[in-house]
Amino acid sequence: MNDDHVVAPGRGTRVPRPGRVSLTTALVVKLGVLVVLNGLVLAGIQRMLANDEVAMAVFSGLALLVIDGVYLSERRFVPGKYLVPGTIFLVIFALYPVLYTVYISTTNYGTGNNLDRATAIAQLEAQSVASSDGAIRYELQILAQGDVDGPLAFLLTDPNGNRFLGTDAGLEPLDPSQIIADGRRETIAGYVALNTGEAQDRVDEVTSIAVPTDQGEVVNDGFRAAFAKLQRLQYDSATNTMRDVVDGTEYTVESGYFVAPDGTRLLPGWRANVGLDNYQRLISTSSVRGEFLRVFVWTLVFSIMSVVLSFALGMFLALVFNNPKMRAQKLYRSLIIIPYALPSFMTALVWKGMLNTQFGIVNRMLGVSIPWLDGQWMPYVSILLVNTWLGYPYMFLICTGALQSIPGDLNEAAIVDGASGVARFRRVTFPLLLIAVAPLLVASFAFNFNNFNLIYLLTEGKPSVLGSNAGRTDILISFTYKLAFGGGRGADYGYAATISFIIFMIVAGISAFSFRFTRRLEEIRR
Amino acid sequence: MTESASPRTAARTANRRPAMQVFRDTGWRHAVAIPALLFAVLPVLWVISAAFSGSSFSSQGLIPKEVTLDNFRELMTVPNHPPFWRWFFNSMLVGVITSGLTVFLAALAAYAFSRLRFAGRRAGLLSLLLIQMFPNLLAVVAIYLFMIRIKTMFPALGVGSLWGLILVYLGGALGVNTYLIKGFFDTIPIELDEAAKIDGATHAQTFFRVVLPLGAPVLAVIALLSFITSQAEFILADVVLGPDDNKRTMAVGLSRYILIGFDSRWGPFAAGSLIGAFPVVILFLFLQRFIVSGLTAGAVKS
Repeated sequence: MNDDHVVAPGRGTRVPRPGRVSLTTALVVKLGVLVVLNGLVLAGIQRMLANDEVAMAVFSGLALLVIDGVYLSERRFVPGKYLVPGTIFLVIFALYPVLYTVYISTTNYGTGNNLDRATAIAQLEAQSVASSDGAIRYELQILAQGDVDGPLAFLLTDPNGNRFLGTDAGLEPLDPSQIIADGRRETIAGYVALNTGEAQDRVDEVTSIAVPTDQGEVVNDGFRAAFAKLQRLQYDSATNTMRDVVDGTEYTVESGYFVAPDGTRLLPGWRANVGLDNYQRLISTSSVRGEFLRVFVWTLVFSIMSVVLSFALGMFLALVFNNPKMRAQKLYRSLIIIPYALPSFMTALVWKGMLNTQFGIVNRMLGVSIPWLDGQWMPYVSILLVNTWLGYPYMFLICTGALQSIPGDLNEAAIVDGASGVARFRRVTFPLLLIAVAPLLVASFAFNFNNFNLIYLLTEGKPSVLGSNAGRTDILISFTYKLAFGGGRGADYGYAATISFIIFMIVAGISAFSFRFTRRLEEIRR
Repeated sequence: MTESASPRTAARTANRRPAMQVFRDTGWRHAVAIPALLFAVLPVLWVISAAFSGSSFSSQGLIPKEVTLDNFRELMTVPNHPPFWRWFFNSMLVGVITSGLTVFLAALAAYAFSRLRFAGRRAGLLSLLLIQMFPNLLAVVAIYLFMIRIKTMFPALGVGSLWGLILVYLGGALGVNTYLIKGFFDTIPIELDEAAKIDGATHAQTFFRVVLPLGAPVLAVIALLSFITSQAEFILADVVLGPDDNKRTMAVGLSRYILIGFDSRWGPFAAGSLIGAFPVVILFLFLQRFIVSGLTAGAVKS
């Protein structure tokens, strides 16, 4: 190998490099991966277009172009090769959900409004088909085209003696001359008449026939009779209204529903953009606002108290153990952090069992029957107790670390100056400790603000509040979950997304605060 | 004699300090430590005892009257038992793949942010910082509705699919981990890269043969931490995996199992929890010192 080249390769000179062979292998692998990826994405785009997901298809196409461009083109943008894979995931599963949340919060999406408009109109019209008192009754003869196994049709005779051939395509008037006899029965050319036994054999097919007419449909009533059902609701696309042909009511469109002048809604509605209705409901309807504020206040109290209590206990223990002369320190430390090591879903459920009023071991050991998870105040106390248990090991860990990083000479200097133990803690140790752990305390606050596992698994938000979706111990995130997935009253994705969006705003506020806070602290430390 | 005796006496008095002084020095610390220890350990002892005891929820005490494996048997073998091992396997699958891919993809991006200079780098870092502020469980409603749409087109990736859940976890974890790993890459001396480059290494070779191996311990720690996180995640797993019991992870499966009723299911639940928590606790004990130093490094870093 020419040393000159290795040390100072001229611009544009291609230097044969060690590892060039493996590079070729890498190239083959790269091309293989890209070919497979292109095939998969293109097939995927086809399926997206078939499902009317145009935006998704466009995004996928663009993403594919970027990938191919970055990994194949000659003019290489090196950073792109490292950034593209992660960026695509981030955009789809972190950025898009945020934007989609905002969008959903401006819709009425939920149970009763989960169809698109066309489907909802079709369903409404189909549902409104019913036999009305004035329905026309027909005499019926069931026919089959060709032979007895052929496609079915109805030979209908109305009360005036007019004859019709009824199929899924509609009613076709017949001239009396077309009727021919088929034994005791009647038929027309090309069809055979079915007797009762033959009709019975194909009863499912017979009942599935609905002959569409201008105002509804004709269905069988047994094998010898049929009647016209009336479609009461008829959609008029010109005026965008739904009309009830029986009583003449006009239903007009209002935020995803057809609504009568008297306020009656037709169900189902459809997904519709309702603008800021969800937010407005939150601000101006006092019951909704009250519910939200109640949950919000408890969320704040819960997350602040959780941090304060677990930090206080964790710091206290860290101080107690921060003495080199103490024996068995290591044993204590590793046992004390056990609650932190266990998965939180498990420990929350274990505490739920322990705090059971009748059979829980806490009440049995104390010989009392305190309703830990029920009543006015006890659920709050229990939640904070359990969350302190879950949180203090972490605080213990970070305080221990921070204490060890505080230079010993500061305390020694304070001792020389004659400061008492309490004064040394208040003036030296505590401020330094707080500076070190403050960002982590803010992070812990943000975490608890959305501590779904604890609330949902320990109390499920109970005790419930009459007439409200949110239980007494629900925090915002568990409230959101209940609104969207809680069953009970049905899903209200639109309102749930609205609450989600408000949590986003709060979290953004906390983060902004913590950025400023940490910067200020860093300035202090310098 | 007297001359040699006095140091010995001094030493003896130092060794046998008055009881009061011992208490004031370290004794009281033990007096505080023991209740703290009980507070930490009692609930855990109770689960362990529940798992191995034959008693029911309402009569089980801290120390089992007799040690049996009945609860394990009930969880895993009786007719209509919950698909416990399936949950366990699902949790492992999701955890391992999520953490592996997270670390790899985040390391790629971190390398670009740490080592390469390009237009839009600052903006990229800033948007990363913004995105990672919002844990994606906050968007659970949007994610669910999105995954429903995906399911109609690609059933293998939508609601009811473990792969779908892995994708969702990846999206949630990439932001913060890229940031963390970038921080660690910044501490690896850039002279090492430059030396490799002078030796003729391409950017890919520098990444795979220099930066990645040097960062390996830290990457391993981050992978293990994200594995642990995925094992306890409930809300996204619950919503994305849907109602099929066989698709659930341990966290969702066991929780749904016990929430139906504590009375008859307490013992098997405790047994299952012990097995489910085992990998996590082992990893945690192994990681403990990294976590302590990592936490404080993050805290007191200038």
